[in-house]
Amino acid sequence: MATTTNYGWTTPDDTALVKDGASAIRTLGSSVDTTTKNLNPETTLGDISFRSSSANVKTRLGIGSTGNVLTVAAGVPSWAAPAGGGMTLLSTTTLTGASTTISGISQDYINLQLVITGVTASANFVTLIKINNQTTLSSYGTVESNAGTVTTNNSNNGMIEIGGASAGLSSDADNVACYLFYNYTSSTNYKVFTGTYGITKSAGGNLSGMSGGAFRSNTAMTSFVLAPSSGTFSTGTALLYGVK
Amino acid sequence: MIRIHNTQTDKVIDREMTDAEFAEHEATQAKFAAAKAEAEAKAQAKAELLERLGITADEAKLLLA
Repeated sequence: MATTTNYGWTTPDDTALVKDGASAIRTLGSSVDTTTKNLNPETTLGDISFRSSSANVKTRLGIGSTGNVLTVAAGVPSWAAPAGGGMTLLSTTTLTGASTTISGISQDYINLQLVITGVTASANFVTLIKINNQTTLSSYGTVESNAGTVTTNNSNNGMIEIGGASAGLSSDADNVACYLFYNYTSSTNYKVFTGTYGITKSAGGNLSGMSGGAFRSNTAMTSFVLAPSSGTFSTGTALLYGVK
Repeated sequence: MIRIHNTQTDKVIDREMTDAEFAEHEATQAKFAAAKAEAEAKAQAKAELLERLGITADEAKLLLA
């Protein structure tokens, strides 16, 4: 029997009988099918493949997690979290409704940075951050400059408030807040955070502040629930970064 | 309505609140409404006291320093 040059598929010899043609075509087709599958082992959106130790057989590599990078381990490609340095954008979430939850947070980083911008609501409000949807475990202190007057506040409300009682009106969209949560995967220690925020107030004066506190829980942080203290979100964006 | 964004799958689900979630939402908003009312009442009382005394907030600070 003759075979093809590259994949060794069996083909009829020049002297083969015509009556054996159907069988020969079936054998060739089956070989082509097997080879094609071996060269295309991907099964799911985002899969890639690479050469295995066997000729003409590729190995499937399933899509990695958000923020993963392609690396090499034990001589073959694999997906992994970045080894160190820099920030990785994990998600961009549009705020809406009575609350917006950012869940399934990757546990592959050292710190988390949450940036919240352009938040407005259907009523005058402050933005609340509930870590792991907890309403009793966050406490913090703030220093605020509100239209030139500096005040200090402390809160044991259990949730993080951005801007406190001095926040702007429901439509004051020119606002930004940035919070850094340290060692957020720890299951043995409390987690601490620092934050800064600023709001341009349409009623006059600007608000800027700094906040620092703790999430008094030994459970790893896996989600944030953002909610307005009154009404529902109209606009707003939350960017979550993993920090190495 | 609430939104849940799973960062692992990047899937976004918008759905109505469950009864428990709605109760928690109401409690949270009531808590902050009460805190806001208390702060406003305190500020109002302070302003009225200053007016009765006929001094400014800065002058009151000076007295207490």
